[in-house]
Amino acid sequence: MRKVLHVDYSLCIGCETCEGVCEFLHHGKPNIRVYYTVTGIPIPINCRHCEKAPCMEVCPAGAISRDHDGAIIINPNKCIGCMMCLAVCPFGVPTFDVKLKAMTKCDMCADRRELGMPPACSEMCPAEAIFFGKPEEAEEEIRRRTAEKIARERISSIPLEGVGRQL
Amino acid sequence: MGGMNFAFLCREKPKPTGKKVAIIGAGPAGLAAAGYLVCHGHEVHVYDKLPEPGGLMLFGIPEFRIPIYRVRDGCKNLENAFEVKFFPRTKVCFGNPNEDGDDFVEKRVEFEELVKNYDAVLIATGAWNAYLPNIPGSDLEGVFSALEYLFRIKSVKLGHMDWSEVPPIEGKKILVIGAGHTAVDAAIESVNLGAEKVYLSYRRTIREAPAGAYEIHLLQQRGVKWLERTMPVRIIGENGKVRAVELVKTKMSEPDETGRRRPIPIEGSNFQIDVDYVICAVGQMPTPPFAKETGIALDRKGRIVVDSRHMTSREGVFAAGDVVLGPSKVGKAVKDGLYTAESIHYWLMEVRE
Ligand SMILES: Cc1cc2nc3c(=O)[nH]c(=O)nc-3n(C[C@H](O)[C@H](O)[C@H](O)COP(=O)(O)OP(=O)(O)OC[C@H]3O[C@@H](n4cnc5c(N)ncnc54)[C@H](O)[C@@H]3O)c2cc1C
Ligand code: SF4
Ligand code: SF4
Repeated sequence: MRKVLHVDYSLCIGCETCEGVCEFLHHGKPNIRVYYTVTGIPIPINCRHCEKAPCMEVCPAGAISRDHDGAIIINPNKCIGCMMCLAVCPFGVPTFDVKLKAMTKCDMCADRRELGMPPACSEMCPAEAIFFGKPEEAEEEIRRRTAEKIARERISSIPLEGVGRQL
Repeated sequence: MGGMNFAFLCREKPKPTGKKVAIIGAGPAGLAAAGYLVCHGHEVHVYDKLPEPGGLMLFGIPEFRIPIYRVRDGCKNLENAFEVKFFPRTKVCFGNPNEDGDDFVEKRVEFEELVKNYDAVLIATGAWNAYLPNIPGSDLEGVFSALEYLFRIKSVKLGHMDWSEVPPIEGKKILVIGAGHTAVDAAIESVNLGAEKVYLSYRRTIREAPAGAYEIHLLQQRGVKWLERTMPVRIIGENGKVRAVELVKTKMSEPDETGRRRPIPIEGSNFQIDVDYVICAVGQMPTPPFAKETGIALDRKGRIVVDSRHMTSREGVFAAGDVVLGPSKVGKAVKDGLYTAESIHYWLMEVRE
């Protein structure tokens, strides 16, 4: 079933937990990385698992495919390392792995999904800025979370203890 | 969505190994380590001096950045599904004096006691020792470290303190010193809690502000007065309380031998502003759970020294997070906690890499 892994940049606090957890799982090479713009805004960059994935369309070796959850996967055995995927990716996501001699990128934690576990970054982001699930579920969560954020900023001077549901 | 899943490495608790690990400090480093260790079958006990686990994620960082339920539900999951035992309000000590965040301590446990009773000990006590600028008047009533200020505000919001234990903020004039994330958070909370005027003083320019120009611009939009290239020289009191602060404008020095330019005061440029509080966010120092000789080496900045196995100079005692790195970030603490837990696991199971 189609799943999305969505990062909401307005909720990200730039804590780098996603990157740290991903690095730990991928032997020192994170597939999600936080970049800081010149004005100091943190932006995590990772694969968007595009619906019309340019990387998959351009790959001359047919090494890129979509799995049952909708994740775009590079097969290192088929990849010829021409870097065309990197050239066309709007986010500059695929990276060349010197050891593998192939391109790699986020696979939405394929081995974890196999065991029924969601991608680790979405499990650990303290700001709840990373959403994983069916598109409509993820969108619901994003809106709910955004509403909470707006409310919290607006009424943060009012103690919420005893007023409705404790957050 | 639920809470942070600190035990994200496994779906359920595996077969027990029979090994017991004590973790001192339930911040992101300690919790991430606890998650790794329970996923590898070890029994984990977590000691923290605060009334609930979460560390600075709960007691420092404002809840509009990290939702409270995200941390709380994550800790509950560790407790319920993975049988992590939490010992809140319990300070682990070895001759250490009172520190920020000691308000809730009900029990004390000797550090040596833990070393004796557990197969391994992890120190993840963070960096809670705030610097106060060494200027006249910094001992006046109304001078706070930003950490203490935010800690009290968060303690109320978490339901552990009463507003009467927080300095009244509504209608006050407040100067925050610094331009890092802690300074920004202290300024925002002051605005949110109804301060009449909030100033932010920084020695350098907006371009050097550690929180980034964007955050400073946002503050300015919300009415915070940004005083760049200024530094406080003295805090002026009346009846023992802060009344005003004297600042001086700064310029950049000629490059020193290392080629670095430092902000230096411009003589005769002093000016005063009337304020009720001065909040200092100029840095923190690590707080290891001991002061006396324990055989654990610290470096010049007070950080615990660890080897490539994340072990301290004492066999079987490990350390992770800000107490090793110095003030850092949630993600850096989490990552360090994970690598350290992995190393503890290898050490306990005598796996040689
Ligand atoms: C105001 C503020 C805002 C911040 N904002 C951000 C941000 O937006 N993004 C970001 O990534 N980082 C931010 N940080 C930094 C981040 O919070 C820390 O880097 C991180 O929490 C460090 O994790 P830790 O587990 O090492 O220590 P901590 O989170 O400090 O946890 C240490 C724990 O140890 C306990 N402890 C200490 N001594 C003892 C003892 N003797 N006995 C028992 N328990 C003890 C403490 O009670 C505490 O719970 C901020 C920090 C502050 C102060
Ligand atoms: S873990 Fe979440 S808040 Fe932290 S950097 Fe990643 S996306 Fe941003
Ligand atoms: S690698 Fe780039 S183009 Fe391909 S799916 Fe990911 S984001 Fe889209």
